[in-house]
Amino acid sequence: MKILTKITIGLAASALLLVGCNAANTEAKAEKSVVKPTITEANLGYRGTNDLLKEDVIPPKVEYHSAAPGTSKKFPRAFQDAPPMIPHDTTGMLPITKDNNQCVSCHMPDMASSMGATPIPISHFTNFRPKTAVKGDKILKNGKNLKNTSNEDMADISIKVDKDQKLYAGRFNCSQCHAPQATNNLVDESHFTPVYTSPDGASKSSWDQSKWMQHIDTAK
Amino acid sequence: MSLSRREFLKSSAAASAAAAIGMSVPAELEANASTAESNWRWDKAACRFCGTGCGIMLATTGDGKDRKIVAVKGDPAAPVNRGLNCIKGYFNAKIMYGADRLTQPLLRVNEKGEFDKKGKFAPISWKRAYDEMEKHIRIALKEKGPEGVAVFASGQYTIMEGYAAQKMMKGGFRSNAIDPNARHCMASAVVGFYQTFGIDEPSGCYDDIELTDTIVTWGSNMAEMHPILWSRVTDRKLSDPDRVKVVNIQTYTHRTCDLGDFNIIFRPNTDLALWNYLAREIVYNHPEAIDWDFIKKNIIFAAGPVNIGYGFRRAGEKSFKDGKYTELEMETYKKEMSKVVSDLEGPALEPYGYKAGDVMKNTPGTLKHWEISFEEYKKSLAPYTLDYTAKLCKGDPEESLDSFKKKLQDLAALYIEKDRKVVSFWTMGMNQHTRGTWDNTLSYNVHFMLNKQAKPGSGAFSLTGQPSACGTAREVGTFCHRLPADMMVKNPKHRAITEKGWHIPAGTLNPVGNQHIMKIHRDIEDGVVKFAWVNVCNAYQDSANAKHWVKAAREMDNFIVTSDGYPGISAMVSDLILPSAMIYEKWGAYGNAERRSQHWRQQVLPVGEAMSDTWQWVELSKRFTVDDLWGAYTLRNGKKLPDVRQEAYKMGYKPDTTMFEILYANDRAKKYKIDLDSFPQKGYDNSECIGDERNVVGTDGKVFKGYGFMIHQYLWEEYASFGRGHGHDLADFVTYHKVRGLKWPVVNGKETAWRFNVKFDPYAAKHAKENGRGSEFAFYGPLAKALPSGNLTGVQDKKKKPLTDKAKIFARPYMDPPEMPDENYDLWLCTGRVLEHWHSGTMTMRVPELYRAVPEALVYMNPKAAEERGLKDNDLCWVESRRGRVRARVETRGRNRPPKPLVFVPWFDERVFINKVTLDQTCPMSKQTDFKKCAVKIYKA
Repeated sequence: MKILTKITIGLAASALLLVGCNAANTEAKAEKSVVKPTITEANLGYRGTNDLLKEDVIPPKVEYHSAAPGTSKKFPRAFQDAPPMIPHDTTGMLPITKDNNQCVSCHMPDMASSMGATPIPISHFTNFRPKTAVKGDKILKNGKNLKNTSNEDMADISIKVDKDQKLYAGRFNCSQCHAPQATNNLVDESHFTPVYTSPDGASKSSWDQSKWMQHIDTAK
Repeated sequence: MSLSRREFLKSSAAASAAAAIGMSVPAELEANASTAESNWRWDKAACRFCGTGCGIMLATTGDGKDRKIVAVKGDPAAPVNRGLNCIKGYFNAKIMYGADRLTQPLLRVNEKGEFDKKGKFAPISWKRAYDEMEKHIRIALKEKGPEGVAVFASGQYTIMEGYAAQKMMKGGFRSNAIDPNARHCMASAVVGFYQTFGIDEPSGCYDDIELTDTIVTWGSNMAEMHPILWSRVTDRKLSDPDRVKVVNIQTYTHRTCDLGDFNIIFRPNTDLALWNYLAREIVYNHPEAIDWDFIKKNIIFAAGPVNIGYGFRRAGEKSFKDGKYTELEMETYKKEMSKVVSDLEGPALEPYGYKAGDVMKNTPGTLKHWEISFEEYKKSLAPYTLDYTAKLCKGDPEESLDSFKKKLQDLAALYIEKDRKVVSFWTMGMNQHTRGTWDNTLSYNVHFMLNKQAKPGSGAFSLTGQPSACGTAREVGTFCHRLPADMMVKNPKHRAITEKGWHIPAGTLNPVGNQHIMKIHRDIEDGVVKFAWVNVCNAYQDSANAKHWVKAAREMDNFIVTSDGYPGISAMVSDLILPSAMIYEKWGAYGNAERRSQHWRQQVLPVGEAMSDTWQWVELSKRFTVDDLWGAYTLRNGKKLPDVRQEAYKMGYKPDTTMFEILYANDRAKKYKIDLDSFPQKGYDNSECIGDERNVVGTDGKVFKGYGFMIHQYLWEEYASFGRGHGHDLADFVTYHKVRGLKWPVVNGKETAWRFNVKFDPYAAKHAKENGRGSEFAFYGPLAKALPSGNLTGVQDKKKKPLTDKAKIFARPYMDPPEMPDENYDLWLCTGRVLEHWHSGTMTMRVPELYRAVPEALVYMNPKAAEERGLKDNDLCWVESRRGRVRARVETRGRNRPPKPLVFVPWFDERVFINKVTLDQTCPMSKQTDFKKCAVKIYKA
């Protein structure tokens, strides 16, 4: 598959229309002459056929990166503090079951550097959820009876880092956010441009205690 | 002349110059600490994807149309997800930036530039697009009346979009042919709620997870489909592993099963028998577990007809007569009219007067039901002994019957155990089911008898698939039969309330609402619907037996329009494609599965000339006047819609007053002012209300400068006015911008955690006080609250008895689905989603990380089943049913691990168009399609 990376001004035929704002007055006149049937079904989407009913597609082979753990080159994070994708072979490591999570054996911070693995960051050792209990007709969050689960004054927020560096069990399912990557490429690359705010933003999470409460009051 | 795909992309991308900047720079080089985060603007928003309804924090940077999303993180303040998202949630950051975003309208034309159904697409202006839409709507109305104009609507509409669409369709065009893709995902849950509670939507909330001891999933791969709820379940389980039990009841092993204490793999469709087995265990073997005080105060027993068919077309319908269906297809469809009771279902049907070998004559699905005695209900449970149930239900031939029986007993013990709290979660497995309504009602039976419903930590809880299936499709009522706030088009009082609220003449609204989503497809194939508009869904990729509908759209005389962010199969099938603003390019609100409504602001300007679906509907309304739409019509069933023009004139409207002036830009609307100096509008774009610097040339050929009033707030407040005081109370627009959502009913500023429970629900408290029964509950839903009475086979006393504030336990048997594996088609096919992709993949297949995580739809199958067919991993095979076939690659070691008789193929991939293979069977009561079962064969390609 092709990867389109450079964008230049398109073909005159359709580009003329796209000028939009300045061309308002001339557009109506111009339109008749430029409306030409140029785009087929095969130009739309990634199926690549013109007849949905008659033409079948042969889906390409799927091959995942096969480097062994510890030997692979990390993928840059998609954006600042985005979850990193898995650069190594996961054969035999999945599924994660309640009795067996092979990811943590290498990625726990005390093991990670010696294994060449990305260490699990502090956000994963933190429970952001207040303790919920019900007493009579009162719903308690960390013992407080709040009117609603979501408040203007953010009274319900409670963030606790586990002192013993025990993984927060809500983050036990690693494959919920981290996925192996196939070598298959998109038909067209994305127009998203990452802007990292820390020098090592492409390889490291910066989302720690200093940031969790930042910007949280969006009603200011 | 044809443009290559590359050239087409170039031209569409050029519309948005900013998108091109920096594109070819490798990501690594961009890391630059000098780009201070101080330029970033963080705001809260709801996730675009599933019904969980997570909150995200979203950062944008840049000026004007160069402002772009640069990061997303889990919102620490959002009660649903507390700082954590799933992989799709994080990649909300990238969903709007695929290279092939639609940026301008595209119309099929000939070389002269005229519309031509057989032509290729050409870029056109919004004005030309709307000229064509107007023309074809007028043709459809003239030839077929309101039933000829249809909309494939969505559980992914924002609440305001859905409300805007519903007003123009039902109030303007007087057409009820608007039905959402939520029909495919939630309709059985909805009818289950109406039948059981008399009102839609769950009694519980997500706090149940932290408060329960037992989580049982039924036909639901929560780990992939509701990952954040599953993260909460995982936390609960691993934090107290001995006390907390997780059991998964599924047709194949998947990631959710990886956390299970034990998993029950059952034969497809037999979950009906499993629920009845649990009920039988309670009634016959543990009667002491029944809370009779609760039952007597709050519950009645009920039954309905069982010979209701499978939601297929019926004999005599036009396309059957026209020979559009092959003999092979008819092998399955003929069961709609009659069937022979099988050996499997025979015992289950005996209490209802049928036995194996009998011919059952089917009548069309009906919601009809009547009260029965507890003794009759007990009779209905008699067949579900451990032996019968285990033999019927065991889904994995490699498991022993004894092992399976033990699991059934263990499951029953968990439900029955006194003081053990239990939550039953389900999703598409129970909803996409030819007896989906039954299955939903059966779940409440077990919880009711044990008094484990509508209580903290206990309850049967339907999880929603889509982000606003609850908020938009159900609460707004964008279904063919519904109106806002649980009102129904067939109820004259409800129509009158709506007509008054919309300031339209009495008698305008059409009382016939039967064009559900499969009916719209069938009506297009029958030549009744001549104009159809696809909104925020992918109706031609997501509907079962798709070849028929694609063919009807492409080859018949009609006009199909698709509005979307990206071109998917529906766009390819269409005559006109409109570029839609995507989620964070507009103001909006979604409602999730725990009744939580969440709002967000417009974060960036849309790409190219894209505009929101709200704008597209409001613009369409400018093209039609009182005299155009409000004359008399005769519907196909002979019913007449009155001429309401005189009435309209009396209200002060003129013959040429447009629907725009009546439905949207009226005096009530204009009271909601643009106020760019105050919260929440201050500092945020608002393309519909004030226009934007793109200066999009609008549908009148002039630069669009905005409506000049706060249309989002108007639509919200008018919609909310229907539910306030009626159990659907919503807070005001501005409040929602200050909080992370509230669970309705919101009464005196306080949300409701557990409905129907006197302690937590002010409506329940009010009803309990009024009915004086001294119950801790009041099931106050108003629908079907007076019933005739009878036994399992029919009504004996037609006189209706009231059942104020009571809920219902239904007798409902196991029945076979209409198509099961046989000698020629020897495997079950189940379709569904994967974690990394959303629905038809139009957004997620454009995100590189998500694409590479699962780049295509694979055939997940049992290694032995593959071996028997000479197939290895990554081999190409054909998956073929009576209706069609697709080619795909085999996977035997993946996340989904089916038993030998079943294969799973997800539907997100437009190259593996699996809905060519599936069957358009529905629950005859809810009209929801069963995508989980049909018979296929698989062979090497």
